[in-house]
Amino acid sequence: MTPALVRAAQRGDTMAMNDLLAELTPYLGRICGPIALDSGPDAVQEALIAIFRHLRDLREPEALHGWARAIAVREAVRIARRDGRSSPAELDGLPSPQDVERAVDIRDVLERLPPEHRAVLVLRDLEGLPEEAAARMLRVPSGTVKSRLHRARASFRRAWQG
Amino acid sequence: MSWPVADLDPVRRLRALAAAIPGAYVAERVIPAPFATVWAVAGDLEKEFGTFEPDMRRLVVESARPDGRLVARARSRYGMRARFDVDLRPGWCWMQSRFLLVGLAARPVPEGTLVAQTGGVRVPGRAALVPWGVRAAGDRALARLAARVAGSPS
Repeated sequence: MTPALVRAAQRGDTMAMNDLLAELTPYLGRICGPIALDSGPDAVQEALIAIFRHLRDLREPEALHGWARAIAVREAVRIARRDGRSSPAELDGLPSPQDVERAVDIRDVLERLPPEHRAVLVLRDLEGLPEEAAARMLRVPSGTVKSRLHRARASFRRAWQG
Repeated sequence: MSWPVADLDPVRRLRALAAAIPGAYVAERVIPAPFATVWAVAGDLEKEFGTFEPDMRRLVVESARPDGRLVARARSRYGMRARFDVDLRPGWCWMQSRFLLVGLAARPVPEGTLVAQTGGVRVPGRAALVPWGVRAAGDRALARLAARVAGSPS
């Protein structure tokens, strides 16, 4: 991605928007897929709509991917919640990276989690963000998230092994 | 271990791009024919595009790159000429001139092929279309495309 492409898209050049969409779509698919699961294509579509509608608000073209990631995570959680395929109950376990690696089918692990926890996993394990940054992106206090994750990991492991 | 990845088919891509363009309308229609048959017509810029797209009498491809980017010269029904930048690949066509915009997408569905179209007259200097008549024009374009596919050798 070049800043010139983003600026051209911001100016209303639809060929640049087309190119930007082609470049962003695989990345957004990797973010939205694990969070929204079967609703992943809907989530990518909604994320792209939000990204392009607000593209003029992006002041630093270099920040495109981080900015787009935040929008994609938010849209993926919203769409997953809307489609209601996950349990609305608060899950008391989140797998550790080792649990995720050991899982034969990661989708099976993800389906046991509410969308917000899938989002934490994606941001932490796939994107490599520290917990504090993930918490900021999810707009929840980092201390709360940190303690919740700590408890959740232990609980999940018990459930997973039990 | 592999994480699930969400894919975006061309019709969804068209909806997303059109949503960012004020005044754009996305017409959609299922054509009861295989994708390859439909796209053989829909993606044929020089022979077929002018038979179903509004205001497009004749298109000539002037240059083409291996990645599907083309430059085409078009003449409208009213005699006006335009230079189009085109992104053409299977199931996807996005083209823009100074004054016009056309988007076309297709994907297989159980009943045949879902096609989607958007486009119209651009508002100068903005990613926006003059909204008058875009709905009727889009629906007409897809009706003509369906008729061309029905009449084409499969």
